[in-house]
Amino acid sequence: MKKLFVLLLCILISIVFITSCSKNASIREKSAEEEQEITKEKVVVACWGNQMLDTYTSYLCEKFPQVEFEFVLATNSTDYYRFRQDHDDMPDILTVRRFALKDAVLLKDYLYDLSNTELASKYYGSYLDSYTYDDGSVNWLPTCAEVDGFIINKTLFDENNIPIPTDYSSFIASCEAFDERGIRSYVSDFAADYTCMEVLQGVSIPVLQSMEGRKWRVQYESGMTNQLSKEVWLPVFENFFDFVEKVGLGKEDANYPNRTPKDMFSQGKAAMYRGTGADVITFPGRGNDEVLLMPYYGSTSNDNWYLTYPTFQIAASNKGMDDPKREKLILDIMDAMVNQQGQDHISYGKNMVPYRKDVTLELMPEMDNIKPYINLNKLYIRLASNEMFRISKDVVQMILKGEVKTPEEALDAFNMELAGEEPGKEIVAHIDTYYSNDFSPEYGNQAASAIANTMRSISGVDFVFMQSCYVASDIYSGYYSQKDLSYIAKNDGGWPGYVELTGDQLYTLVEATLSMTGNRGAVCNDSTLYVSSGFEMDITKKDGKYTLNALTVNGIELDKDKKYSLIIYGDRDWYMTEVMNKIGITSVDTNGPKAEEYLTECLVNQARQLEAPSKYITLR
Amino acid sequence: MQEKSILKKYLLPIALAMILVISLVLGVLYMRNFLMELTVRERSNQLKEIVTQIQANLTSGLETHWNLVLGMEKTLSSKRFDEDDDVCGIIAYLENVYCTELYGCKVMLIDSQGNAFLSSGSIGIWNDIAHLIGDKRRYTFISETDQIDGCYLVFSQEFEHVIEIENDISFSHIVLLKDIQTVKQYYTTTTYGGSAATYIIRENGILAYYDAVDEDVIGARNIFKALREVEYVQHDNFEIVKEQLDKEGIVATEIIINQAEYYYCLTKLGSYNMTLMLLIPADKIAINTMNMMNATIRTETIIVLAMVGLSILAITSFVNVQRSRQIVKLEQKNNRELNQLRLVAESANAAKSTFLNNMSHDIRTPMNAIIGFTNIALKQNPSSSIKDCLEKISDSSEHLLTLINDVLDISRIESGKIQFSPAPTNIKQVNETVVNIVYGFLVNRSINFEFYQEEPISEYVLTDAVRIREILVNILGNAVKFTGDGGSIKFSVHYLSASNGNTVIAKYVVSDTGVGMSKEFINHIFDEFSQEENSARTLYKGTGLGMTITKRYVDLMGGKISVESEKGVGSIFTVEIPMNICTVSNFVENSYSSNKVDLKGLKILLAEDNDLNAEIAIYQLEEHEINVTRVCNGEEAVKIFNDNPPYTFDLILMDVMMPKMNGYEATNQIRSLINHPDSKSIPIIAMTANAFAEDVESSLAAGMNDHLSKPINVEEMVKTIVRNITK
Repeated sequence: MKKLFVLLLCILISIVFITSCSKNASIREKSAEEEQEITKEKVVVACWGNQMLDTYTSYLCEKFPQVEFEFVLATNSTDYYRFRQDHDDMPDILTVRRFALKDAVLLKDYLYDLSNTELASKYYGSYLDSYTYDDGSVNWLPTCAEVDGFIINKTLFDENNIPIPTDYSSFIASCEAFDERGIRSYVSDFAADYTCMEVLQGVSIPVLQSMEGRKWRVQYESGMTNQLSKEVWLPVFENFFDFVEKVGLGKEDANYPNRTPKDMFSQGKAAMYRGTGADVITFPGRGNDEVLLMPYYGSTSNDNWYLTYPTFQIAASNKGMDDPKREKLILDIMDAMVNQQGQDHISYGKNMVPYRKDVTLELMPEMDNIKPYINLNKLYIRLASNEMFRISKDVVQMILKGEVKTPEEALDAFNMELAGEEPGKEIVAHIDTYYSNDFSPEYGNQAASAIANTMRSISGVDFVFMQSCYVASDIYSGYYSQKDLSYIAKNDGGWPGYVELTGDQLYTLVEATLSMTGNRGAVCNDSTLYVSSGFEMDITKKDGKYTLNALTVNGIELDKDKKYSLIIYGDRDWYMTEVMNKIGITSVDTNGPKAEEYLTECLVNQARQLEAPSKYITLR
Repeated sequence: MQEKSILKKYLLPIALAMILVISLVLGVLYMRNFLMELTVRERSNQLKEIVTQIQANLTSGLETHWNLVLGMEKTLSSKRFDEDDDVCGIIAYLENVYCTELYGCKVMLIDSQGNAFLSSGSIGIWNDIAHLIGDKRRYTFISETDQIDGCYLVFSQEFEHVIEIENDISFSHIVLLKDIQTVKQYYTTTTYGGSAATYIIRENGILAYYDAVDEDVIGARNIFKALREVEYVQHDNFEIVKEQLDKEGIVATEIIINQAEYYYCLTKLGSYNMTLMLLIPADKIAINTMNMMNATIRTETIIVLAMVGLSILAITSFVNVQRSRQIVKLEQKNNRELNQLRLVAESANAAKSTFLNNMSHDIRTPMNAIIGFTNIALKQNPSSSIKDCLEKISDSSEHLLTLINDVLDISRIESGKIQFSPAPTNIKQVNETVVNIVYGFLVNRSINFEFYQEEPISEYVLTDAVRIREILVNILGNAVKFTGDGGSIKFSVHYLSASNGNTVIAKYVVSDTGVGMSKEFINHIFDEFSQEENSARTLYKGTGLGMTITKRYVDLMGGKISVESEKGVGSIFTVEIPMNICTVSNFVENSYSSNKVDLKGLKILLAEDNDLNAEIAIYQLEEHEINVTRVCNGEEAVKIFNDNPPYTFDLILMDVMMPKMNGYEATNQIRSLINHPDSKSIPIIAMTANAFAEDVESSLAAGMNDHLSKPINVEEMVKTIVRNITK
């Protein structure tokens, strides 16, 4: 009897023990999940342009659920990364479109050498050679090539019985023919530095690709010269002068922003403009027009070239790369950014040329005429150093405006600027308080809030609504030059747009913004959430989706009938178009100051400090 | 303190041994390193030699191709082109003229835009056009593009002046493309059984071409960077290697990739801005040298291990020896102490022996006087009462003498003084002597005594006759003592053969019809002072030591004694004593006639210092009408014997312990007298109070013929004299 009692007691104790163990195990599992959530590996990705916010960032978030990405919209310049490095705050993954080895070499010590990685081995050797330093190291790798040339409305040509140009003389002939018909033959956004630079180089590619041209470029890119060679560049300017004259470009062209030529083209008011493969998709003429991307024309068809450049270059900071686990993660992410899937998200699979052996990008029919050029390798890679962008714009605009009369003067002006000091390096401001660009559920993005509040303060509008990733870095305390100041919030795609709307429209706008997908203003994670100034947002996050609960002003529910003035800061062409359509507003005034100009006004002109951040968000 | 000194003693040799071991180990390590370095150097040198040869071949091959290119350049530069000439045709012409004997060659012309033309047509802008851009007119490199199938060694020559062909197309470069596989013999080697991998590397460290049977173990684009990151065996790093390469143009070293050892050799290809590298698994280089080195290292290691082992053994041995020494010292100390104790014991024993001898001598001497004079007195016809007194004195004296003899004997046995001294003996005679003695005991007794002696296997044996006599006399004496008149005693002697055939066992059986013994007493019969019932002491005089002594003697001679007895019926004593048989030649016949000899007129020289003893002896001898000349010491005895003519004396009775010269010395001197014809033959009989067996032996050893113990038994003395004069 006693033995039976002891046996039963043992069984009871065992059951209790096992049950408690399994309970503990489930608690442990739950804790591990929570811990994993908390201890997600953080990776900062600097995006060269807001098109990466379209589907690319979402793709990365889905691809690496174990990673907490922080996306920032960088200034499209390797100089921006120099600024970040100066504050020992280099992003983990860097992207940039405007690239020259000459500029990038300054970052060499801070970037990871990719030369012997599997990632690099997937590239064609000849492309990789372009990114290889003298010591064999490789910091940057290109994605696919953006193709740039003359976008022509073939339908318009056909309608006017004007033959499609095949060389420079036929191009000029077509221009004259369109002029005779009162249609603008060729127009471009010469207000943009890249257009100035690309057209200047584009009309003289055979010269630049001659042996002499190539030799000069090697010397320039290796720092052996900081002057344009007369032998090579005088013909370039001669060609450009000829182009300007024969096409009929003038003073007004110097001020055309990016959208003007596209609008003219879309309306059938212009037959040709400088554009890329992406533009062929985006601006297909009058709707049903057949649009072609034609090369930069040379004196003969054999001298025709397309101008190309990588959509962007990618690099990694060498910080933390001595940890093999971290190293692998970063390289995996980089690979995902430039592999077939990644490039599909960049190029939509139709308008770009891959550099990687394992990537195939099928060109759309509108770009069929590029294929022979690809086969003959007649793809000129633009010379895209920072100074080339800046000075090309200055000199081209001077030519367009008639401020320089001859190619010689243009060459001299160019060389003079090359020899001079880069402007904007003088200290112009001091920021007293540091604000972090990290998002916290409690305070939101403090740096972005400070910028939004400052923009509201300077502009005098009721509200500012902006995507937080448009602020490109922490706001470091210390002295700033004009250039450095611009790096805080300067990017190619961000436009502050002024609009007046009711509280109800604002609610719809915020709601539509949060639910938007596949657009350059889409929210994919906390780092891409929006910042509000003048009102507060109550948002719920569930399964990676954000939904708006309420908008308040100083804690009081937004008056939906009241009219408010708003600066909305984000992508103009894609994001603003979509959200404004949803609230029934057809135009947004984007001619006001750009974000960096608000900062200059505040910090330099008014010598004020940035407005303090506010608690603008409740994230549930 | 002692521990410290031991520690000190051990410390130095152990430390030295340890230093030796460490030195050996360090020596081996040094030698190993030295040999390894030597090996690396040897292998590196061998590799360098091979690579130098490859470099020479390759450079020569490149020069050959360059000569072709220069020939083509000259041809094109001097050629006048017609309007009909087309580029492809010209290229085909050049290939026909210059490349017919060189398979795998293509000629390429490049225009001023970078467009490349082959004999098959234009391929567009050549992907490798960037390689032609620079200050030089001539470039040699490796090209692998998707524009032309295959991998080519490129020889690019810029024309001094551009050449215009076909519609004013200006050509700036002529290029010879040589399929790299077709010049494989220039950059590879079969020396290492196909294990060598060839890397052709650009100036910036980027791999231009890889050729090997196996997969590329480095697997890198930037070879120099990869070489920077690998592990170097001989403390090198790539910066040192690169420095040496830049300085000497060739360098070889050993590295570890994925835990495997490799050697690589880099050499610059002259002015071609390329570096050639050979990578070979270490185990494929200088295999024989390596085998030899490994064998040397192995042997050396074995030797050193053996030496280390020996050193350890030496240390162990040393420690053991030191410990043994300590033990030996301790033992020596103990031995010294034991020796001292032994000496003390021996001294005590000697003192005891001396005491016993002196006791024996000193007691026997007055006893001799008492017994002697009592016997003399009895022979003076005393009155019956005086005779009775004298007879009682005589009995008491005899008893006292027996007591003294037994006590002294047992003492001597216990002190180990008595030893078994076998000597050639006629056993049959010994037994008969015993019987004769027994007959003496039976005088005035009416006991039937029967003696039977079996014919012995050999009369002559090695035994101690004295002890046998004592044993048998003791047993037979007891039989006589404890057997009443009318009883009988049987004494039989048998000889048994022992298993070894060389030994005979004399079996003595004495049975009597005496009083017998109880079973309880039989168990204690051999104990000292044991006698059955106290009344026996009064009825049968004795010390109670007789059987104890008998047993000890039997044991001493390796024999055994047993007794059967029944009270009132009688006793049977059986004694078995083993004796070795000896040959006749070993035996000196010492028999004598037992016939009665007339002693009248016998002339005896008596040497006796004690007057009383002398008086008794003279009386007893003269009773037998013997003429006695007495001297008082040995010196006188020698003198008288020597001074008298030969055969003046028939016999000498020699006391032993005498002043001036003892009996032994005197005997020795008499026997040594050369000019005295009877000096050797005259019987000399010791007549001494020294009664022990060794005394008998000493007497015989001194040259005497017989031994008589005091107190003198007249009959024994007469028998002894008779025995000796009749020999």
